Amino acid sequence: MEVVSFFANIVQGGLGNLAAYLAAHVILCLLPAFYIAGAMTALIPKETVTRFLGRNTRQIVSYPAASLAGGLLAVCSCTIVPLFAGIYKKGAGIGPAITFLFFAPAANILALVYTGSVIGVDLAFARFFLSLAFGVGIGLIMALLFRSEDAARDMATNQMFAAQSIKGMSRAALVFLLVWVALLLFGTLKLDILTGSYRNVNLPVAGAQEFQALLDRLVPVDASKGEEGVSVQGAILILLLAAIGLTSWRGFERIHDGFGTWTRAAIALTVLTLLVAALNLQATAAGLRVGFSGKFFGVLLALAALFQIGRAYLTEDELRDWLWESWRFVKQIFPLLLLGVFLVGVIRVLIRPQWIEALAGSNSVLGNLTGVAFGVFMYFPTLVEVPIAKMFLSLGMHRGPLLAYLMADPELSLQSILILCAIIGKLKTWTYVGWVALFSTMAGFIYGAWVDGMNLGFVVLSFALFLTVLALALWLASQRNQPEQAGQAKSS
Amino acid sequence: MLTIKILGPGCANCKRLEEIARKAASDMNVAAEFVKVTDYNDILAYGVISTPGLVINEKLVSSGRIPTTATMTNWLADALKAS
Repeated sequence: MEVVSFFANIVQGGLGNLAAYLAAHVILCLLPAFYIAGAMTALIPKETVTRFLGRNTRQIVSYPAASLAGGLLAVCSCTIVPLFAGIYKKGAGIGPAITFLFFAPAANILALVYTGSVIGVDLAFARFFLSLAFGVGIGLIMALLFRSEDAARDMATNQMFAAQSIKGMSRAALVFLLVWVALLLFGTLKLDILTGSYRNVNLPVAGAQEFQALLDRLVPVDASKGEEGVSVQGAILILLLAAIGLTSWRGFERIHDGFGTWTRAAIALTVLTLLVAALNLQATAAGLRVGFSGKFFGVLLALAALFQIGRAYLTEDELRDWLWESWRFVKQIFPLLLLGVFLVGVIRVLIRPQWIEALAGSNSVLGNLTGVAFGVFMYFPTLVEVPIAKMFLSLGMHRGPLLAYLMADPELSLQSILILCAIIGKLKTWTYVGWVALFSTMAGFIYGAWVDGMNLGFVVLSFALFLTVLALALWLASQRNQPEQAGQAKSS
Repeated sequence: MLTIKILGPGCANCKRLEEIARKAASDMNVAAEFVKVTDYNDILAYGVISTPGLVINEKLVSSGRIPTTATMTNWLADALKAS
């Protein structure tokens, strides 16, 4: 009996976590984010960004361009690796290529939006800015360390970057993308003007309150343990999501044979789901109270604009590519995410908060190192690191080590290290791994100090000092290298 | 006889591209040899940065996206005419 109830407890933990996640975080955050990621992949011509990565481009342009490329173009490793190999082998130099490699998994749109929604906007911003600073930093360091080798590579390959056609992005596609981002913001920003209801309508639905009570029994709410529960609205949304999944499977999987009824059904259901998610639904004794929030009107407006742009200004090819890429991301990432969230729910039942507390409960160097080590040695599929981080947070992990973990996990895994070895060689790979570990620990430590209430000015100052020392060291090293380079150039 | 090369590391898009190309070829009753190019050096030799790439008779036709079956049919017809 003991054993049975133990397992029942575990499975309930997993399923409860899954339901709460689907209801609370997926719709208004992940659904638009998947469509945005799809639009970025399908509608932004890669050449517009990668042509800035050639060797002749000045560093002040090529490094930011590399991080931009990482943030905009690459969402899954399937895109990152070919792009990285392309950038590196075609003579961009190892620096911008590494910056791209570092930034892409840490700060792409899906990862940032999801982090912001699940854990908090502060951590999402910290993740973005620190990834940017460190991505460029590590890129510069790598470029410097392997300078002579880099210069020895065939300069002629640089022509490829120069020869790339300058094919701009169509204006309609850009507006389309921006409206999606607006929709995402309307849906997820926690501002009173958006979340408050302007008009309430009471629907006489018998048994709404009983249904809510049943849901509360099935998925207990416990804020102290980070268990969020499921509302009536959440239950409706989970059903709608299942329906979207089903129609998308029929409608988007065969989209290259033409748009069909299933395609339209999937789009209609997506629109409906986004709108329902933006309402304020509350189970009352009389039935269901529907509140039309600012969010609802914002989402409605954005959807109307998207529909108009999509119909009037985007070509059929663009729409198809966009829907296909979005669907591909969903297919690739979502099942793993569901499994991950379920397992996190299971594990949470098993882990004692004291363990986490002892290892990484405070912002110590050891705590941050633990976060990084865990990030390096565990491999989680894209985005699953976020619910895992949430679990650690609710079990008492300090936000500093948590950020250290979040910085290290997507960058480094056994898989990515092996791929890197194949492309740039063992020495460069392990140097990169070492720097990422060091920088992630630093990032966690600095951010943790700020969370602990250290004076913001002091934090910025120490961060600036760290960067200055680094820049100075790099500059000195490059000064020392310059004569060597010149000598080499003459002799060759 | 056409030689159709699919450039890409073997991700979902490459497989779908191959599927569409095979279907188009068999619908048109065209004899075609399919070659998968997975080595990055070979892929980059065609000047492709974004995969999947499609090469018909050593000519790069598309990269970074998946065409419809109808477009693919046109490309195959063009290649047949040229050869």
